[in-house]
Amino acid sequence: MNKTVSINLGGYPFHINEDAFEYVHQYLESIRNHFSASDGCDEILYDIEVRMAELFQEHLKGRTIVSMKEVDEVVQVMGKPEDFGAEPLEQPSYQQNRDKSYKKGSIKTGKRLFRDPDDQKLAGVCSGISAYFGIDDPVWVRLIFVLFTFFGGFGVMTYLVLWFIVPEAVTSSDKLAMKGEPTTVENIAKKVEEEINELGDKISEWGKEFGSKKKRHR
Amino acid sequence: MSDVKLENTKAQMRKGILELCVLSIISKEASYPTDIINELKEAKLIVVEGTLYPLLNRLKDASLLEYNWRESKSGPPRKYYQITESGQDFLTSLKETWEDLNQAVNYSQSKIKQNEQNS
Repeated sequence: MNKTVSINLGGYPFHINEDAFEYVHQYLESIRNHFSASDGCDEILYDIEVRMAELFQEHLKGRTIVSMKEVDEVVQVMGKPEDFGAEPLEQPSYQQNRDKSYKKGSIKTGKRLFRDPDDQKLAGVCSGISAYFGIDDPVWVRLIFVLFTFFGGFGVMTYLVLWFIVPEAVTSSDKLAMKGEPTTVENIAKKVEEEINELGDKISEWGKEFGSKKKRHR
Repeated sequence: MSDVKLENTKAQMRKGILELCVLSIISKEASYPTDIINELKEAKLIVVEGTLYPLLNRLKDASLLEYNWRESKSGPPRKYYQITESGQDFLTSLKETWEDLNQAVNYSQSKIKQNEQNS
């Protein structure tokens, strides 16, 4: 089950999955940052929204909910703001300033600490920490926590506190930030593909289970 | 490294020509950006669609283009771009430059071919 958001994109109404909404939002923000020094920023953004809305309609072919798949296809067609090209009519110094401001405000690329819901024994605190520090196997972090529990009992306390304050990585961009991979179009696409493959595996497993149950009934 | 430079050079070449092509498409008739994109895609001039919108905005700010709104059957009103008088002049001189460049490129290429045949 997925929560959807209703949006008005360039005057067209859409229902969009929450993760896909966040992706679109980040994409539009990255364009806004890229053109933030230009007077026509809002206008460019609006025109791009209209075009994205048209593309969504084309890609949806009558379906009603926009998912990550459509967003990804449309973002591929529209391209990254870096690929939109330099502005030959403007002064070079001006452009440098703008590039700088773009870098400052671009999509979050820093690592962030999350709890990893895909690899959890309890709440994913340890696997989140090992992702944050680039440790391949979370078992070492888990071991440290267990050792701390024996030597003074801090382990349990620390774990509970972290469980409480560290957010769970819910969306694809969270999961990328957890591993410190920049949230770019390619990376999100990669992540989504992984998730779709996983889902495919699960569905085929369910299919098998279902099939075997059916046989038993006969 | 050389790959990056080649891509950069290609992009620069495409960018200059893109401006010429967008202006000449619009000079034929008032156009909706999506129609411009379709023509540019047919000519393989545009790689990502996002390129067009900042370009149109820039040409509009330079008073080479202007737009008006037209009602649409299938959605909100649409922006139709048309060329201004100064845009027309700009286009004419761009076309001249393009002709000159085209001749220069052909000339230098044919020289190289001649030299290859002679040697």
